[in-house]
Amino acid sequence: MGQGVRGISRMSYGWRIAATVLGVGLLLNGSLRMSDDLWPFGPLSQYAFSPAMDETIVITRVEGLLADGRRIDLPLRVESAGISRAEIEARIPQITADPALLRAVAEGWTSRHPAEPALLKVWLVQDETRLVNGRVGPARLVVLTTWELPS
Amino acid sequence: MRTLRSVASWFAPVLPESRVAILRTVLYLFVIIDIHLFVRDPIPLSRHPELYQPLLIERLFHLPPPSVPLTITLYLILVVGCLVAAANVLPRLAGAVVAAAFTWWTAIGMSYGKVDHDHLALVVAIWVLPTVGVIADRWRSMERSAQAGWALKCIQISVVFTYFLSALTKIRSGGWSITSWPESSILMWAIVRRPHGLGQFLLPYPELLHLMQWFSFTAELTAIVVLWLRGRALLAAAVFWMGFHVFTMATLYIHFAPTAICWLAFAPLERLGPWLRRVKAGRRERARGRSARHPVPVLRDQAVDSGG
Repeated sequence: MGQGVRGISRMSYGWRIAATVLGVGLLLNGSLRMSDDLWPFGPLSQYAFSPAMDETIVITRVEGLLADGRRIDLPLRVESAGISRAEIEARIPQITADPALLRAVAEGWTSRHPAEPALLKVWLVQDETRLVNGRVGPARLVVLTTWELPS
Repeated sequence: MRTLRSVASWFAPVLPESRVAILRTVLYLFVIIDIHLFVRDPIPLSRHPELYQPLLIERLFHLPPPSVPLTITLYLILVVGCLVAAANVLPRLAGAVVAAAFTWWTAIGMSYGKVDHDHLALVVAIWVLPTVGVIADRWRSMERSAQAGWALKCIQISVVFTYFLSALTKIRSGGWSITSWPESSILMWAIVRRPHGLGQFLLPYPELLHLMQWFSFTAELTAIVVLWLRGRALLAAAVFWMGFHVFTMATLYIHFAPTAICWLAFAPLERLGPWLRRVKAGRRERARGRSARHPVPVLRDQAVDSGG
């Protein structure tokens, strides 16, 4: 049961320690000063903000009007629309400026639901829930923009 | 000189290479799971070039914008590369290919507006694992090295820093205040947006949610001490953090699987091989023993006979 120890040169120690110190430095810099753009050396900012006791909490959704007259929720998940809610939420200003960007959701949903009637129109909506003194208060639906699919 | 040596042995302690060999198998197979379950959107997202916003790393290396052929190629490279690397074959080459491809793949997944932070330890792991090079005898290796120790230490540091840095970010985002995040409505916000898990039952109790915020914030801020724990204390810390992830999964549907799996860098995986061999040898021993006693009736038969 001979347990050998592999040799290691000074140089090998040197670059390894330097790389660790550099990596830790970049990570600290990212979390203390930088933005998500620096991934993987950006801040670990998931759930790291502080909503107020009277915060308005929004859930962004996309609804669609089908050719048979039904208005349904198009779940913003990779499996059902090819794109997730977070990606749509991150692009709200661009989408309200150019509603045709909702094509991503419409096409993603249509290609994954070939048996459903055609999509005619989509709405970008938000369920707004207001907190009152840190507790769940009234909710309402807000329409941000709509887009009619080219026929 | 002595301080220099102790610094070197902290960053690169001499540890069993079999631990790295086993960790390679586990983590490379996990990457295959990851690209199907967690960072699973690069291929569908690459159909929407109008939504692509490259991260600094993609601009820095002039990476071409994702297209369907590109993401499918990356996917195939990852699957083949991970299978080769998981077998500890061509560890440097296959490992480097997987490291570059997985970093790019994950970066693409984060280039459409949402950046996640649960992949820090895994990305670090796949960059440092190839540096250990060829491990003779792989899982059965009896060799120890500082090269192995350094790779494991890097993974350990990034696991612990995933928690510690998130606490620092919370202090920063709250205007450099210790109390603003733990006293905020963050868990309420998270549960309202993901009302499917156990969290919905906590909605009527904001005070309890604040208590939980203080608890997790304190745990994250002090997580760094894990780097100096050993033995049972280290085991207790690992069990605590696994429990933490199970709890956030159950209440918020937020899993940190890529971080959780990297906790294995702390585990004495090198004992797995000898233990398996002992179990196998023991079974063989028992089998031989049984066959020797074969003519003698077994105990329960006698009891039934005498009772009847």
